[in-house]
Amino acid sequence: MGLSVDERWDLIDKISKETVTFGKYKHTLKDAVGELTIKPLTGIPIAIAVLYGLWSFFGSFAGFFTDGFFVSLFDEHFLPWIQSVFPDKGGWLYYIFVGDPLADNCFEAFGVLTSGLFIAIGVVLPAIIAFYLILTLLEDIGYMPRLAVLIDTILHKIGLHGYAIVPTILSLGCNVPAVTASRILETRKQRFIMMTLLAIFIPCGAQLGIMEEVIPDTMGYVLIYLLIGYFILGFILNKIIPGKSPEILIDVPPYQRPMLRNVRRKMQMRIVGFFKVAIPFVLLGCAVVNILYKGGVIDWLANVMSPLLSGWFGVPDETVGPLIAAFLRKDLAVAQLSAIPMTSYQMITSVVLVSIYFPCVATFVMILKEGWKDLLGSVAVLAAVVFLYGGLIHLIGILLGVA
Amino acid sequence: MGEYTMAKLYFGILGIVTVLFGVSELAVTAGGTSFSWGILEIPNEMFRGGWGGFIVLFAGLFYLSSLKNFSEIHQFSKAIMGSIMIWVVAGLDIFAMITESIPGEEGWFNSLGGFLGTYAPPYTPAIILLPFSLVVIYYICKRKAS
Repeated sequence: MGLSVDERWDLIDKISKETVTFGKYKHTLKDAVGELTIKPLTGIPIAIAVLYGLWSFFGSFAGFFTDGFFVSLFDEHFLPWIQSVFPDKGGWLYYIFVGDPLADNCFEAFGVLTSGLFIAIGVVLPAIIAFYLILTLLEDIGYMPRLAVLIDTILHKIGLHGYAIVPTILSLGCNVPAVTASRILETRKQRFIMMTLLAIFIPCGAQLGIMEEVIPDTMGYVLIYLLIGYFILGFILNKIIPGKSPEILIDVPPYQRPMLRNVRRKMQMRIVGFFKVAIPFVLLGCAVVNILYKGGVIDWLANVMSPLLSGWFGVPDETVGPLIAAFLRKDLAVAQLSAIPMTSYQMITSVVLVSIYFPCVATFVMILKEGWKDLLGSVAVLAAVVFLYGGLIHLIGILLGVA
Repeated sequence: MGEYTMAKLYFGILGIVTVLFGVSELAVTAGGTSFSWGILEIPNEMFRGGWGGFIVLFAGLFYLSSLKNFSEIHQFSKAIMGSIMIWVVAGLDIFAMITESIPGEEGWFNSLGGFLGTYAPPYTPAIILLPFSLVVIYYICKRKAS
């Protein structure tokens, strides 16, 4: 026999009297500081400081290893050595694995064992370690739920809620776990919006690392274009996609000291994931693009797509090579872009195009796992976005007189 | 004199100086040329001067907004947050110095002179403010003790 509503409340009262101790709770300093990070007036400047910290640490840490040691190790020692010992100079295998025999740095060699290894180990790995270290610390301290509360109102404008900040920030490390993390969103509409936005507008840590290395001066503009695109597309998708975007109830834990064991385990799991997912694709990407170059496919595609690339997007025809590489790894594609002669604005447009034009193959597979209908929908949105947003950036450049 | 009068005076002056530093950093960045005076140097780069200056400015505003009823826990927490924001900017400036000081331009590692030279003045406003912002720790300990 079921209980009536009144009886149920009486039972709740009875249980709570026996189990809950009531008293006057005295606010601690930790509580007061925690409240400051949630209120918009104080929380937003604090969030900006946290992002500054993340970015500054990322730049210094990655720069220390890449510019300080890996550039010298790869360019002055490894490249001359492999160029001299690899057999059949000028042959297909040499071109695929070592690349240009006259190159004096690993960025321009484009071989699997030269550019591939340098990008994966020398540039991307330090960037990924720096990013995941800070992200793990923020998670363990308890800042992430506060950021979710703080940004909830803004994300509701694009059909999401505060917890969407978790896959968004995870995506800045790698889109693959971020697609999985989008399952924390309740409705299919929210998950579709999240996955589409992640796949198109959020550059992964590997891509950020390579951008920091090859286009440090224009990187800020690329990120601004991506951020604006994230909100514009989110707003449009929220309007046109049927479904609900419910509110959330977040349990905000108190701030706590990060546990070394937690940090170590999370870092280990994420870096092992990077080695498994990213490095094989970087090496494969180098090989595929080199084979296509050698076979003349890239030149043919550059000619065929010339009206779209130079006419509509305003970028050099040679961009087609990096665009193909971007399907496998976007960091590799940005590195390849850096070797193509172009103006600063063309570089901004090209990097934005590489970022938004297609998710890398690993992300593609993850979205497919979420359902083929979602994947087809994402690809359709993506095609429209690339065409329109790429053209819009070109138009802005023309109006500003810089394109 | 009340228990926290000295603290109010101290954080009031620190708040004004911090706000001035923050505004100066934003102005120098907007002006497009770096500024150096004595041990103080304000870089004109967008990231450090613009973004960093904005954070220093808000740190100063946090200090100033904590002054009214300073002993109240929520007000005092604003002074703590002001200091934390300075620690973030200054800490990362120092971290950047450390990462620049170790690798050498010619060999793998820097010479001793080059290594030590990286830490010589001039310093950014946040680094100059850093020791003064640490005073908040004394007041945290004092609160805990009482």
